Amino acid sequence: MTRAIQGFIKVCDEVGNAFLFFTEIIKTLLFRPCRKSLVLEQIWHVTVESFATTAMAGFFVGAIMAVQFTMQMKEFGALGYLGGLATSGTFREVGPLLIAFMLSGKIGAFTSAELGTMRVTEQIDAIRCLGANPMQEIILPRFLGIIISSFFLLFLGLVMSVFGGMFLGYFLAGVNPEEYVRHIPTIITGPSIATGLVKCFTFAVVLATICTQKGFYTVGGAKGVGRAVVSTAVTTMIAIVVMDWLTSFLGEVLLHMVTGS
Amino acid sequence: MAAKSRNRIIRWKETLEQLHFIANGSLSIIVFCVCFAAIVTIIESSFHMKIVIQNDSMVPGFAAMLILRELAVVVTALLLTSRVGAGIAAEVGTMKVTEQIDALKMLGIPPSTYLVIPRLIACTLGTVMLVVVANMACLFSAMAVSNSYLGYPPAIFLTAMRRFVQFQDLILAIVKAAVFGAVIPLISCYFGFRCESGAEGVGRATTNSVVVGSIAVIVLDFILSYAFSYLY
Repeated sequence: MTRAIQGFIKVCDEVGNAFLFFTEIIKTLLFRPCRKSLVLEQIWHVTVESFATTAMAGFFVGAIMAVQFTMQMKEFGALGYLGGLATSGTFREVGPLLIAFMLSGKIGAFTSAELGTMRVTEQIDAIRCLGANPMQEIILPRFLGIIISSFFLLFLGLVMSVFGGMFLGYFLAGVNPEEYVRHIPTIITGPSIATGLVKCFTFAVVLATICTQKGFYTVGGAKGVGRAVVSTAVTTMIAIVVMDWLTSFLGEVLLHMVTGS
Repeated sequence: MAAKSRNRIIRWKETLEQLHFIANGSLSIIVFCVCFAAIVTIIESSFHMKIVIQNDSMVPGFAAMLILRELAVVVTALLLTSRVGAGIAAEVGTMKVTEQIDALKMLGIPPSTYLVIPRLIACTLGTVMLVVVANMACLFSAMAVSNSYLGYPPAIFLTAMRRFVQFQDLILAIVKAAVFGAVIPLISCYFGFRCESGAEGVGRATTNSVVVGSIAVIVLDFILSYAFSYLY
């Protein structure tokens, strides 16, 4: 029982730390913005690093969804709808989730390892000694860079998933690409794409906050860096799943409020 | 006698230790994540079904199928890649950097039987067990949500489920789990053994193992789904 309470307190602690860090970043962003060139450098760095991986992951996620939907659609003889359904399922739910998992391993682990190494080799303290603000010089460019580039990468993954689905639809189900694409607009509407994009943006913010926070507060030498990397990956995944649920739920509530039913 | 015990291929003590770390340590996180993923599946697929066929009576069966065939096993495998895979790569990499692996070789213990095989066995077994638990938890939470959110009581959920999924879906999920469970430690150990010296090398090995592990899981999942689509 006491262990359960301790665990609960630890979870609350983590959530609170992440939020405090987030507000601090926002404060720095509003009052002491960093140089644009630093942000651009980070965007370039992160995007180049993860471009191929994300494209590949997106392609295969689309292909997996197409395989699953093909089996189901064959039963109803509605293979024409394959394009629309598989794309809609990928865009609204599975795509952002799986690609964000992938990115949390790639970008999250990389950034927290980098920041952790800077922390344990006292480079961050050195920056503070030089009279610069480490939040402004190190954290903020990374935060903004990760948000912008992972939003872009997630969207790239979603676009690639359409190609993956199309490829598989052609080879497995015999739906030719033209027909596949033609049915996408009948099922995917503005709100679907908006949900996908909102999810991508939320995941990008979560990923950026957690990996910078975990890296910035690393303690305990080289082992501490390893621990920070593992805990970044795990925490990001949990946070992504929870945010996935939250955005879906809020989206549903908003839809009810708008349509009035 | 001592020499015999040193050269055994399967070391049960290490295997059990690893099994405890992999299965017991990841259980709560995996159940938590998988439950949320199931809830999202129900909400989103009800949204789709309402657009396509104007009612959501097929949501339970469809969600159960998606959960059993894809969601539970892939989410579990990806979580294990980042938790267990990164842990193994960091551990083996640190051993390599601090020359503990060379020390093992000098003692006449092959590093593969001491480090790789216990992790391989433990991770394969652990993933299979975790996937069974994750499927259960996933279906239960889907049932609970469809009861409270869509208004389908569990009896209707189970009846609808029977139409879409068979027992072989669970068996194939277990096959997938065994494949993913075997791949994760192999990739992590590979990057751990090839780790370059210094703290940065360990960090890079960890990152690489997570990235390559997740890609391997997604690609293998595609291959296995494609292969199994001929069995249904």
